[in-house]
Amino acid sequence: MTDIAENGTEAVRGVAVTLNGRVIDAQPGELVINAAERAGVYIPRFCHHPRMQPVGMCRMCIVEIDTGRGPALLPSCMIPVAEGMVVETESPVTRKAQDGVLEFLLVNHPLDCPVCDKGGECPLQDQTVAFGPGESRFVEEKRHHEKPIAISDVVQLDRERCILCDRCTRFAKTVAGDPLISFVNRGNETEVNTFPDHPFASYFSGNTVQICPVGALTATPYRFKARPWDLDQVESTCTSCSVGCRVAVESSSNQLVRYLGVDVDAVNWGWLCDKGRFDFEAVNSENRLARPLARQGDDLVEVSWSDALTKAASALGGAKERHGSSSIAVVGGARLTNEEAYAWSKLARSVLGTDSVDAQMGDGLPSDVVLGLPRATIDETCAAGTVVLLGPDLKEELPILYLRLRDAVVNHGLNVIEISASQTSMTRYAAVSLRYRPGEAAVLVQELFEHAGDVDVQADLGRARALLEANNVVCVLGRPSVAERADSVVQAALRLRSRVPGMRFLSALRRANIHGALDMGLSPGMLPGRVSLEEGREVFTEAWGQLPGSVGLDTAGVLRAAAEGRIQALILVGADPLADFPDRDLARRGVAGAGFVLAVDCFATDSVRQADVVLPAVSYAEKAGTTTNIEGRVSRLHQKVTAPGTTRPDWMIACDLAERLGGDLGFETAEAIWDEIERLAPAHSGLTAQRLASSEGLEGIVAAGPSSILETTMDVTATATLPVDGYSLRLVSTRKLYDNGTLVQQSPSLAPLAPGEVVRANPADLDRLGVASNDRVRVASSRGAVVAPVEADAAVARGTVLLAFNQSGSGAADLIDVSLPVTEVRVETVGIGDREVSG
Amino acid sequence: MGYFEGFRITFKEMFKPRVTTSYPEELRPKPERAHGRHVLNRHEDGMEKCIGCELCAGVCPARCIYVRGADNPTDAPISPGERYGFVYEINYLRCIHCDLCVEACPTEAITESKLFEFSFTNRADAIYTKRELLVGDDGRPQRLPWELWSDDDEANTSAWVRATASSGRADYEGRVGWSAELGYGIRAPEVGQAGEDAVATADDRHGHGDDVGHGHGGGH
Repeated sequence: MTDIAENGTEAVRGVAVTLNGRVIDAQPGELVINAAERAGVYIPRFCHHPRMQPVGMCRMCIVEIDTGRGPALLPSCMIPVAEGMVVETESPVTRKAQDGVLEFLLVNHPLDCPVCDKGGECPLQDQTVAFGPGESRFVEEKRHHEKPIAISDVVQLDRERCILCDRCTRFAKTVAGDPLISFVNRGNETEVNTFPDHPFASYFSGNTVQICPVGALTATPYRFKARPWDLDQVESTCTSCSVGCRVAVESSSNQLVRYLGVDVDAVNWGWLCDKGRFDFEAVNSENRLARPLARQGDDLVEVSWSDALTKAASALGGAKERHGSSSIAVVGGARLTNEEAYAWSKLARSVLGTDSVDAQMGDGLPSDVVLGLPRATIDETCAAGTVVLLGPDLKEELPILYLRLRDAVVNHGLNVIEISASQTSMTRYAAVSLRYRPGEAAVLVQELFEHAGDVDVQADLGRARALLEANNVVCVLGRPSVAERADSVVQAALRLRSRVPGMRFLSALRRANIHGALDMGLSPGMLPGRVSLEEGREVFTEAWGQLPGSVGLDTAGVLRAAAEGRIQALILVGADPLADFPDRDLARRGVAGAGFVLAVDCFATDSVRQADVVLPAVSYAEKAGTTTNIEGRVSRLHQKVTAPGTTRPDWMIACDLAERLGGDLGFETAEAIWDEIERLAPAHSGLTAQRLASSEGLEGIVAAGPSSILETTMDVTATATLPVDGYSLRLVSTRKLYDNGTLVQQSPSLAPLAPGEVVRANPADLDRLGVASNDRVRVASSRGAVVAPVEADAAVARGTVLLAFNQSGSGAADLIDVSLPVTEVRVETVGIGDREVSG
Repeated sequence: MGYFEGFRITFKEMFKPRVTTSYPEELRPKPERAHGRHVLNRHEDGMEKCIGCELCAGVCPARCIYVRGADNPTDAPISPGERYGFVYEINYLRCIHCDLCVEACPTEAITESKLFEFSFTNRADAIYTKRELLVGDDGRPQRLPWELWSDDDEANTSAWVRATASSGRADYEGRVGWSAELGYGIRAPEVGQAGEDAVATADDRHGHGDDVGHGHGGGH
């Protein structure tokens, strides 16, 4: 080791270790257990996990190690390799020790393997067979505990089975940052448990089930659903949010029963959030749309595909003929795979002739900003000099990105500057946390660079300025709140970019495949492959036959036009504007005002119930294709189960509609669509199906696209301080992980976890208003009013009020007027506790 | 001589006892360990022995068993423990009566009777569900209308008809390795490979137990 230090330059030099009589080449600092595994020798283990620090709890990995002082039994997960080390993993002494450790571990382990969910894939079972005693000598009574106890809504704990390996507790503390489970008691009485009255309410609790080496932690949604030997597995990509975690999708008897995280270095490291892990229940839901519906009077009745498609095509064709192509609009598409998004993009532009297509629901950012800014990957963000967070609460919207950033901060000293309207879950990990008044993010950034601002924040601004001097600054950019317009955030980001040379961006838009949808041109003025309508006109006119003449409307524009009667046919592709568009009043008027509404969806959402024709689509794990994550990483989705009823994939629906409208998209399979994307879309050139299917594509391949499309005319230098209304509070409306969306609500295990509608405000503001915590309050804006309980929360900045978006009976959308830069609300009490105050 | 020589066999056999029976009016007793239609047993207190572990389905070479477990309702438990067999189906068009399911069962819930005389008029009827496989309140197999039962078919349906002892060891003699069972109680120990010498120690108060421990141990 000393010669390495002296040379200084010799960073990686092999360490010669004798393993079972064979000399192997280990890396300096590598643990014996890992070096042996790389050399093909598996040392049994329970507590060791490649993504967590070793603790040496279980003693299963003890092997005979001679470090020059004679052989000794040492835990190989705690000992780094050293030159000349001799390791014996198969000697009689090692064998006897392993046998003894297993016998002790089994002393209190109940033999209820036949009823245990882990039975059949249990490391304790497997290693007992491989390394343990053949027969038990233990005849005494085993330790008994209540079986099983629910430590959270989705995780059950059987303390009898626990072997105290510290994996779950270590995960909760060091990986998730939610130290809600811990060892309690001592000695023989030691057990894992939660703290009194504090359930293991972590968004990441499902991971403890996956890493538990015995059946102590089991997942409620999977409980007794299947046994490991009747599971079929396929590797796919999670589309519950846009991080793109790799998952193993498992089914039994053609029903999804479980997802497991797959460890890929670039994205999720094997972790999943509970929403992603358990929302397979929505795919299995009885409430799925299974057959096409068409409106007859006030009711939607089941019809055949042929009738539904004919009806839809004649309405679309009629609208195009009588009112022109611009009277047709397509909203939604983030649920689609890349191939399906491309098919819809092609249908809209070449057959329907409209450019009014938008996959965003007015709660994202302008697509030229998302696609045009220079990009960073998750790895690059975690390795950056400084990261600026200008977006939503990552733990709520992109949980695994939060885990990765948290790891980078805690274990690698990443500096994070948080710019937000109120505290988020990243605040405690941020080096500097800057608060802006809702709607004035750009003002804050201006102050940051112009040494302005109040005296009390000068120190923070100074520190942030110093951190921005670092090489390699990355900004995680999303929409912090739907109650303020996107302009101010975009302006803030562009201003940061103009002052910090070489700054790169990581998008934090949350919807499943929103980045794939934007890449495929499901955005007004954009064409597949991140080119603008004008840039790509020549290539795509030749390939597609025709293109719309001018740039169309975005979702807000479409709804506004529809409300004014200028949209004759509105197509909702997996879109529910009544729930997801920030301004419900406008959404309601828009959907009602459209002449004809065609909905393509998996569930009968509020908007679908308003439609004239409903076409049922297949859902996740029922179709193959590709998806694109926040980094632009394209990874593959696989089919695992058969779709219910007569549902069809969205690309097929697009082709069917095109055919009935007299066009031809020219696709027979989803693979054929990808071949056309690869051929035509500049950003995806070279991303062949073969490459994606190869080992290179296992963790997905980043589509490195052109970034010349950013054509903002925004005045980056102007400051727009909004006039302050002394009687009003500014509304901040963000999403929680569990909300009123179909994915959560149709998953029986997740639906009860949605926190419901609660107004949060700073205690000082509540004092000033004479409102006590837990009172019911009336929150009123220029648009409407909402009555909900209020909670004092010091995490909410003064002058603002927090109301989560799309919770049960959520009124946040009733308050927001998208034409205003920020939503101002007045709060007044209407009742104390549960009692209403009568007039 | 030719003419009467031809009848030599005929005349000889005329005076021997007749072995042909008039089936199905007359049913022959079946061998002691004949493999027939399965039964799902109950504990002595009436609880189902099946815990829905799917080991039988996992081991089945004909893949004729479909089992699903479910959470045992704590207020009205169906089997002892956390889990019970929620769905249990055997497709008798596929079953080859190899008895591997009986070997695999950790609770001796599934065993076989000797009944093989049953038929169906359509494929769906060939799938026995839990309702049909479960023993009745007396612990005896249900005699379903389309099955031809003779009295010895249900004798000794219980777990002793295993090729090996419940410990998995063939020499596990003279010990009771199974649990009490509704209708049969605790049965006498098996004598195993050693034959007649092993001493019966178990309590065989209930019915059929008395003729079990002796004589049959050697063959299977």
